[in-house]
Amino acid sequence: QVSVLYFARSAELAGLRCETLSVPRQITSLQLWEEIVKVHPRLAVIQDQVVFAVRQEYVLLGDQLLVLQPGDEIAIIPPISGG
Amino acid sequence: MDDSEDVPKDFIKLKSEKLSVDEVSELVISPYCGAVSLFIGTTRNNFEGKKVIHLEYEAYTSMAETEIKKICRDVRQKWPSVQHIAVHHRLGVVPVTEASVIIAVSSPHRAESLEAVMYCINTLKASVPIWKKEIYEDEYSWKENKECFWANSEK
Repeated sequence: QVSVLYFARSAELAGLRCETLSVPRQITSLQLWEEIVKVHPRLAVIQDQVVFAVRQEYVLLGDQLLVLQPGDEIAIIPPISGG
Repeated sequence: MDDSEDVPKDFIKLKSEKLSVDEVSELVISPYCGAVSLFIGTTRNNFEGKKVIHLEYEAYTSMAETEIKKICRDVRQKWPSVQHIAVHHRLGVVPVTEASVIIAVSSPHRAESLEAVMYCINTLKASVPIWKKEIYEDEYSWKENKECFWANSEK
């Protein structure tokens, strides 16, 4: 069970800012994205433009294997525009 | 209290209240420094012919603070003579002409603080999880920094 945080455009598409999801302990970042899109299909349109932050480290969507602990924080990060 | 060393400090704040240039510069002033360099990012009133009413900022606050701390650490590695660093970023609604971000760096001589300020703002735009929404008269747009490597602005 992990916490998923949504920001900016991803929060608008998903319709919420945070929720808990059950996911396998070991999963690639792309598989994790696909799990999230199953719950929020409207997110599919931004697939090419997002990265994750897993435990506050950026992770690209792809083959990277994530080893998740219960309570880990995962954030969907659309293109940033600070400053 | 022993002031004789003036231990280098990082001052990082994300807040929704109006930012103050006086406040941020005063944070970095030091008797050991002959230079304070400042960057102020302000809200423009137009984008591609559209009138901007105001900006709205949101942040992944805990990670944004961590990423800004990393930037400060990098600054100190690249410019070891840098004394204090302050980064204040506004969140929520920022009206046109008001400041969204103020960065101040102090150093004994001016070259280091000028270069460090530029590095801070450039790196902030590439790596800190903060998002800006531009509000126009009848629509809005989530902006994407060109420094952001996962934005595909060319596509």
